[in-house]
Formats: sequence, C-alpha cells, structure tokens
Amino acid sequence: MLVKDSFSRFGTVEDHPEVLKIYCYDFTLIPRIFSRFIKRPIIVVQPRSAEDVAEIMRICERHEIPIVPRGAGTSAYGGAIPLKSCVVMDFKRMCNFEIRDGELVAQSGAVWIEMERELNRNGEALRVYPTSANVSTVGGWIAQGGYGIGSLRYGSIAENLKWLEIVDFEGIRIVKGEEMRYYVGTFGCLGIITRACIKTRKNEPINCRAVHCSFEEAISMLEGGYHASFKNSKYLSLEGFGAKDVLLICSEKGDGDETGKMMWGRRLIPLRIASKGKRIFPEVVLPHENAVKFYEYAERISEGLEVVFAKDCVVFIAALGNGYRNMLKALKIVKIAEKLGGRVYARGMLFSSGYGKDISDYKKRIDPKNLLNPGKMGWNAFSMSIGLLGKLIWTA
Amino acid sequence: MDCIRCGLCNVCPVFRVEKLESVSPRGKIIVSKSIDSRIARDFFKCSVCGLCEVVCPVNLKLTEFWEKKREELFEKKLAPLPIHKKLREMTFRDFNPYRGKQEKRAEWLEFPVGKSKTLYFAGCTASYRLQNMAKASAMALKELGIEFTVLGPEEYCCGSPFLRTGQKDIGRFLFEKNIRAWQKAGVEEILTSCPGCYKTISQDYPRFARELGYSFEFEVKHVSMIFSKLAKGKLGFKATYHDPCHLGRHMGIYEEPRDAIRRCGIKLVEMERNREFALCCGAGGGLRSQFKEISIAICEERIREALSTGTDILITSCPFCEYNFTRTGKERIKVFDLSEIVCMTLFP
Repeated sequence: MLVKDSFSRFGTVEDHPEVLKIYCYDFTLIPRIFSRFIKRPIIVVQPRSAEDVAEIMRICERHEIPIVPRGAGTSAYGGAIPLKSCVVMDFKRMCNFEIRDGELVAQSGAVWIEMERELNRNGEALRVYPTSANVSTVGGWIAQGGYGIGSLRYGSIAENLKWLEIVDFEGIRIVKGEEMRYYVGTFGCLGIITRACIKTRKNEPINCRAVHCSFEEAISMLEGGYHASFKNSKYLSLEGFGAKDVLLICSEKGDGDETGKMMWGRRLIPLRIASKGKRIFPEVVLPHENAVKFYEYAERISEGLEVVFAKDCVVFIAALGNGYRNMLKALKIVKIAEKLGGRVYARGMLFSSGYGKDISDYKKRIDPKNLLNPGKMGWNAFSMSIGLLGKLIWTA
Repeated sequence: MDCIRCGLCNVCPVFRVEKLESVSPRGKIIVSKSIDSRIARDFFKCSVCGLCEVVCPVNLKLTEFWEKKREELFEKKLAPLPIHKKLREMTFRDFNPYRGKQEKRAEWLEFPVGKSKTLYFAGCTASYRLQNMAKASAMALKELGIEFTVLGPEEYCCGSPFLRTGQKDIGRFLFEKNIRAWQKAGVEEILTSCPGCYKTISQDYPRFARELGYSFEFEVKHVSMIFSKLAKGKLGFKATYHDPCHLGRHMGIYEEPRDAIRRCGIKLVEMERNREFALCCGAGGGLRSQFKEISIAICEERIREALSTGTDILITSCPFCEYNFTRTGKERIKVFDLSEIVCMTLFP
C-alpha cells in the first residue's frame, strides 16, 4: 500500500499480484528452466510526463529500487523482462506527438502507425518504422536500435533521430549527435527515453516490384530503393505463397507491380509463418561484403530466411523450429555472423554482455547502483548460459 | 491457449483506449487461469470484435476463447456485471433488453404482410430503438419483390447480447421461444438486417438445436446478401462503409454490402482500416452498455477515420454500429443503414 501511495501521484499504477505477472513477459521465448530468473515487479507505474519519470527515478534511487522501462513489449530480446524485483515504468500513457514545421516530436509511448497516419494527413511520412508498427512504441524501438521499413534508403532508427529527451538520475536533458549512441540500442540501461525528435520524409507514393531472383542477384538491384526485403522459397512456402525466391524492391519513384503491391500491403503483418508451429527467429546484422557468404550458410541450416537490406548493412531473420536443438542452431547462426564481422540484431537480456568499453564505463558513471534495467548490460543468467553454450559450439 | 506473446494483438481497440496490459488480449491470456472479480471485469472490457484473432500470427481462436471464458465467469458467479445483469432481468421479463412491450414489437411495420415461408426478423434494436432501419429493410425487401412475413409479438430477442457476455442460459431460453414460433409459422428462410441476430441465428442456434433436440433447417441471410443482387440506382454521392464486426470478421460478409452500395450508384471510398482489419465501432460484446466511455472513445477514433476519407456520409449495416455512430458523432457525420440507402433508390 505504501509503495502504491508513493507512486500513484505520478499516474496510473498497477499492483494486482496476478496482473503483475503480465509484465514478466515480452515476445522472448523463455525456456522453462530459466523462468526462475525472472522476477515479478513490485508495481507498474504509467507516468504522463518526463517530470513524472524524473520524480519516480528520484524515489527509486533513494530506496534503491530497480527500474525497468516498458514500451509495447513486442521485442524478442527480453529488454522489458524484469530480472530483479523492480518498478516497471510503462510508457503507454506518454503517447502524444506533434508535427511542427516538418518535425515529428513524439513521447516515448507513441505508437508508430498512429504517427504515420497523422503524418500522411499532413503530406509527410516516417522515413523508417518497424514491421510491428501497428503496436510498437517510439521508445521501445529506439531503445532496441532497430532497422525496418525504409532502412535501405534511410538506415537504422539511430540515423533518423534529431534529438532525444533523456531522464537519468541527474535529471531531464536533451541529447543530440554522437551522444545519442548511449541510448539507442541500450534498452534503457543508461537513461530513460521520454521524447524523440524523428526525421520525416515527403509522403511520396511507394511503388513496389516483386522480382524472382537469387540472393546474389538481389544485391545488384538495390540501387535507388527505399525498402528491399528478400524471402527465400522455404520462407515463402511457410507463409503459404509461391515456391521461388523473391525480392521485394520498393522505391519512391519508378513502377510497381501487383505482387509487389500485395507484398507491400502485408509489410505490417509480421510472423505469419509462426502459424505453422512455434518458432525461434534469430536475427543478425551483417556487413554488405559478407552477406552472400553468410546467406549460403544460413540458407542451409534454417527452415526459411528473410533478409532486409539496409543502407549500411544487411539484416537476416532465420526461421528455425522450436526446442533446445533449434536454440543451439540459433546460437550457431549468431556465432557465424560474428565471425563474418556481423552482430546479433539487438542485445536485450539474451546478449547483454557484448557492449563496448565506453558504454560500460558510462553505465558505471551514470548508474553506479545499477538500478536502470539491471541485468541488461553485463552478465545475467541468460547471457552467461548463452555465452557458455556459444563457446562450446564454437569449439566443437 | 498456445500464445507466443508477440503482442501483435495489442491492436485491440479497448487496449488502445485503456492502455493497460490487463485488458490486452495477450495480458488476459496470461492471467486467464487465475481470475478474481477484478480480472473478471477486465475480461468484459472487450467488444469481442475479433480483430485480435485476425492479426494473431498463430491463428488462435480468440473470439471463441473470450466467449468461453465469459461463460466460465458466469458459471463461477463472477458475471454478469451490473448492467448486463439488469438487461438480463429485463429480457427474462419482456423478451427484449429495451423494456419494449411485446405487443408493440412490430409497431414499425407500415404495411400489411401475409403468411410466408420467408421471415423478416427485425431484432430488438430495430424494433424498439432504430425503427427507421426495420422500416427501410421491410420497404426495400417489398419493393424488390421479396415476399416475407413478420411475427411481431411472436418475435423474441435472439439472445445475442447475452451469448456474447457468457449467459448461455438465457440464450437457450430465447432460442426455444423463437424456434417454436418459427416452426408454428412454417418459416423456412430467415432474413435479418442485424448482424448480431444473423450471427446468433446462423452459428449459435444450430448448436442449441443439437443440444436441445430440435431440427434446424432454416436458411439464414443478412439483407445485404439480397441487396447486393437486386439493388440499383444512381445516387451519385460519395460515402464510406463501416464493416460491422459481427457481419465481417465473424461471418465473412465483406463484399455484399459493398456491391449493394456500388449498385446504388454511390462512389464508395474505403477507410484505411477496412474489411477484416476494420476498427470496431465499440458497441458490441456488452461494451457499450457496461463501459460506455470506452465504447465512445473507440467510436470517436472510427469517426475520425471515416471523416478523413473526405466524406461525412457513413453507411453501415448493423443497428448497434448505427446507434453508436449516431450518438457519438452527433452532427459531424451522417449515418445510414444499408437498407436506407437502398430505399433512397426505390423512393427518390
């Protein structure tokens, strides 16, 4: 009751013990033996402003209560899963945004599709957005550091931010330029994103073509494109479509065709292949120069492969079956990608140990008590097991 | 429930308004095994629109799940919620949830009808609240050469509002009242303009018939299926169409109303979310009656979407949708039932 009283003045709170269970999950598949490492939050608070967030953080710091920020909870990396008894800061009520002089300024809990609709009414459009745009939030996707629709022309979300409003234990501030790297893709471990200024584009119609070609040929067709994704025949047959590899290439100028239009129309309906049974989807990012080599390997061991081309890299999404054997396969895919100069798509809870020294040093300085999303930077039970297994696989 | 917890079901219109994971489909599935009165209340914050089922990548039968769960809550005495309970009491007494007098059920009928094997089943809302809809449907059917009868005092609530809120007992009771009346009148075909009645009579009644030992050999049609073949006109104005959840997602009727609208000579402009992805109006599943504010907030969002098509004329084919849009939209939007549109072509 005391805890509830302390937080209820900052917005809606949730402390029903059964309902709190919901906040122990996101899209991450957790093997049963690991479920004991997940902790139920003490309370969920839904702040309404950056000031609320700052105040909540002050209370948490004073009482040394960990804080886990949460957007839509649609990531498969466990970034929003509490590993310590904590306050979950749920941003769904901070969902306002405004379009001002060609600038989109959005609160952390704003949903991508709602902003896109409003922008379109004003002749503008988002440059990049996730395939889960129908539900996912600004803060969540930035904190994960994602690539998505439009990344071929405009790169990752990191490249499409003008500034971020951050709240940490020192207060509220605006960060720009290089400094934003501390907050993009770090899952709220270094500060909480409360607002973002996002770059937009003129709402030119997107024309899409579907081209039957090999992966190697696909790479030569990307010039001038806005968005491109490649699905191999195995992936397409799992989706219930044709049996030939297809490149979807979309541009702001040029022609389209019917299949391209249909595929573009389905861009925000992800994961359809999950209907054929539970699956694991390891996602890795490769430099362009090693993409073909990695493709050949991943094609062989996966049940289907989707590739999203970005400006400076290539994102591979492999479809694997369920179960421990496939988890090992997923790890193998990550290891091969690393060997070829790539990396896992996002770190979150599962790959939390791989941050560079400057990021880790910054964490020690800004959050010495390790209260910001603890366990998501450095080792935890999940990343330790994955690291160990990875080493074993590599040795074998 | 083999949910993969992807969260894509958070397109749920109620969740978008409430913003609490306890009312999201994913959240409700997670807590579905340990329901107390607080959680039970959240289970009724749902219009059973079925959008979650459409977007679910693992094809979970969520509409069925919500209805089964509500039945379970009713059996455990965690439901009905207060207003649903009031409607239940009224319907046990008056055979409709509007306190309408049974002898006045067909008061809307403006011309005599004889005996026929085809029945026009107006439903409670069109009989007592939106009589314009019942009148227009009957007039249009008559003018298009469809011979039909109306049972008036022998027509009873179909039970849809109760079946959608887990109250199977009253659903069964009303089923028996209706089927006996239909058998007595020699009905073979049932036409209705209410998607709630259409779904209930097509999907729930055959199940009740099997359980209770009745034969059920009625052909059930929504009037849009008739209008899509027979309507014609040159109305010429621009309008958008709202897919009622019970007609579209639940019964798969998407093209017939659109064909009818086009045949009436209307320039149809689609809303961004249409057909199986259409946003609910917020009225169904007992939401409007029990949680009016949520229902109105959802309806506001849909009205905004309709207006952004560049027309202020919205056509729908459901009395609940029409009622919610008219009440919420007030002067901002002109709402018509499909039958009223067909009538415009017949009586210019």
